Amino acid sequence: MKNRHFSLLIKYAIAIVLSIPCIGAGNRADAADYSFGDGASKNAACIACHSDQSKVSGLNLLDQNQFGHTTHAKFGCTTCHETITSEHPGVKSAANTTSCGDCHGDTTSQYSASVHAKNAPCSGCHNPHRVNTAIEIPATEMNKQCAVCHTSIKITASHAKWLPQTGLHLGAIACITCHSKAENFVISIYIAKRDGADPESKPTLMTYEELHIYSKDEDVQYLIDRNKDHYISLDELRKFNNDSSNKDMYLKAMFTPVKPTHSFQTFDNRWDCTFCHASGSEIMQTSYLSFPKENGVFQQVAVEKGAALDALRAIPNFYLMGSTRNGTLNIIGSLIIVGGLIMPVGHGFLRFLSRKNRQ
Amino acid sequence: MSEKMVYLQPVPVRIWHWLNALGIVTLCLSGAQIRFPEYISFLGSYRSAIMLHNTAGIVVALSFSIWFFYYKIVANSLAEIYIPKGSDLTTGLFKQIVFYFFAYFFGAPNPHHATPKSKFNPLQKSAYLAIMFVLMPFVSLTGILLMNAGPMREIVMVIGGLKILVVIHYLTACSLTAFIFTHVYLATLGSTPLAYFKPMWTGWEKVEHHGMEHSQVEHSH
Repeated sequence: MKNRHFSLLIKYAIAIVLSIPCIGAGNRADAADYSFGDGASKNAACIACHSDQSKVSGLNLLDQNQFGHTTHAKFGCTTCHETITSEHPGVKSAANTTSCGDCHGDTTSQYSASVHAKNAPCSGCHNPHRVNTAIEIPATEMNKQCAVCHTSIKITASHAKWLPQTGLHLGAIACITCHSKAENFVISIYIAKRDGADPESKPTLMTYEELHIYSKDEDVQYLIDRNKDHYISLDELRKFNNDSSNKDMYLKAMFTPVKPTHSFQTFDNRWDCTFCHASGSEIMQTSYLSFPKENGVFQQVAVEKGAALDALRAIPNFYLMGSTRNGTLNIIGSLIIVGGLIMPVGHGFLRFLSRKNRQ
Repeated sequence: MSEKMVYLQPVPVRIWHWLNALGIVTLCLSGAQIRFPEYISFLGSYRSAIMLHNTAGIVVALSFSIWFFYYKIVANSLAEIYIPKGSDLTTGLFKQIVFYFFAYFFGAPNPHHATPKSKFNPLQKSAYLAIMFVLMPFVSLTGILLMNAGPMREIVMVIGGLKILVVIHYLTACSLTAFIFTHVYLATLGSTPLAYFKPMWTGWEKVEHHGMEHSQVEHSH
């Protein structure tokens, strides 16, 4: 019992010591919140200074909202910054971090095996204080991350050597669709600006604030999900596309992986156009509409099956030749072609039977 | 029975016709592979099918220009040859249908006689009017838009998106494919199966002056 009290006393003492440099940083809580114990505000002592531009800068400065959204925040600052002591911030070296591989072992070993690892550490792409899950990041943003090193001019030039319609392809596919070892794909739909500089090759997505004006202070999702059932029907998509008040926006659909891996390289089968263009209707059946949220991350809402295959304005500007063909149209087309055989077959048969009449 | 040779198909028409024929057959085959890549691969890789389709599309669009330029500007006979007259619609169509689907089987002569100024029978005129003034422009323009979907995106948006374009392009292409079967078959209805093919190659039509005169049904297009 004594030990327990002693332990608690130590914790309070540490919390008080840590809170001293943060006095005046605003948003002060109870002394207990400055501990590294459990609870939503367990990071508060650190955040109080590390979200304040007047106190820290560069990588030490983090966005409270963005960090708060990460899974990392739930573990608490000291889980990674394990060497921090009560001397901080007086002792700067206290900020040593743990390794990503300590938790993400499989991912790290997968990544280390790829040629990409020689050129960039984890932090080259991921900022641990604002990481999101793959579905929370629009494909356009993922591509921008790649473009930090692989400039878009070089990317376009290297793909143009073999890929027809290079601009259209690069604007409609996440880089990791081809350059990671994903096996399943879906169509991710975003709301983009129609008047961007190059809407097909370099789409610019509508931000939460911009969409909020159109949604008239309602959740931006209800711009399309009109019956507010958190499910987007083909009819709702068509209504959005046919609504003249949405003329400055369009639905930008992109081909994205379900579970991208970290084995970044160019896979041989991706050179074969039919890897995508004959993927068939199975993959084309599944799509999600991603809406930006107030905190900057995107949220997926399921879309009725077959949106990418719908010929009638569900996603008007998405077409993946060979794969998004419409079944009903195939039948109509076949009937038309068969109609063309009526003369050769029907007339030809009667012609053969009546050949003696023309001799 | 006397025979007379008539110069029915001038050089520009023949160049256009065979360029068009080669182009359209190539487009049908490559188009089939592009739409059904998992079932059809006779033109090699998907990429080569695309390249061939684009090239053939440009060739057909250019040959269409030759056709229009020749008939409209050089010969100035576009309307005369392709637009059905009042009599074509009131009685001509009916007579021609009766011939093809009834009288022909009993050995009756073709009611239409082809001349350089009246190449087509009323049924042909109607069919070619639809093909050359509706289907060909539709399939070519949608093809050009699909080939330039990025730069021409605002036009694509006005039309209603890529999907609508593809629907028009595909159904028009199917109609033209259906036409090819009918076209080639009808071209065999001359005095001999190849009688109508020769003038489209040499330009000269052999016209027989006796009771069994025929029309230059398909070759004259």
